[in-house]
Amino acid sequence: MEQPFEMRSGTSDGPPVLEVMGEIDVATAPFLKERLQEMVLAGNATIIVDLLGVTFLDSTALGVLVGGLNACRDAGGALHLVVSEPRILKVFDITGLADVFPIHASVADATRSAGR
Amino acid sequence: MMSSPDPLARSSSRPDVVELRLPVMADLIVLARLTTATLAARAGFDVEEIEDLRLAVEELCLTLRPNEQQGTLHLEFRQSDDDIEIACTLEPGPPGLHRHGANGLPLPAPEDGLSDRILEALVDEHGHDTRDGNPRAWLRKSRTRVQG
Repeated sequence: MEQPFEMRSGTSDGPPVLEVMGEIDVATAPFLKERLQEMVLAGNATIIVDLLGVTFLDSTALGVLVGGLNACRDAGGALHLVVSEPRILKVFDITGLADVFPIHASVADATRSAGR
Repeated sequence: MMSSPDPLARSSSRPDVVELRLPVMADLIVLARLTTATLAARAGFDVEEIEDLRLAVEELCLTLRPNEQQGTLHLEFRQSDDDIEIACTLEPGPPGLHRHGANGLPLPAPEDGLSDRILEALVDEHGHDTRDGNPRAWLRKSRTRVQG
């Protein structure tokens, strides 16, 4: 049974954390896009997106994350990703986006990096 | 990107053929991934190869830009002794019926170039052509042979 798509907003000692679980695909990516837009419009220039619970991610998901990164940069911040699953990291590697996003192995690492 | 007049007709041994027709709806494309995973497992692909194929078939469908047209995605899966071949044809349908998924949100536009980069990395061959005037995307991936 595949894990259903789910998002949870939380806080860390630093920027807000958006935890995403399940599969981010052509059907669920619009929900992620909507949530990221809401967070940036609410005044969050820097956001941490926790992808530790993500089991599948396609090019539409990557496009949404790139859009979120651009929106954060326009607001003077950054979009930090938390990824540790090799299968998910592989998608960032083969598309060249591993060099575009700040990618961290844990939320704690992302929080430390975002606070610098 | 490679092209072929009929890439699905090149298997040396007689392949099994499975067909799947899906209305263009975002939340139904998961069925293409599920079918791919099932057939790849049946053909002896390992776990990593199956995951590669799951992503590849999603990108294959997205390269046809189904967000811009209503209709049906017609997938054909052929497996032979050593490889699996998947073709996806976007067949036109009546306007307005299948544009949105059950969540009410439109199919997002694909990211230019990302699907091709993913396919390039995950499969042995892929390309585009037409069938009966309709756009078709196809891929082929060989199975890693375990040395005995």
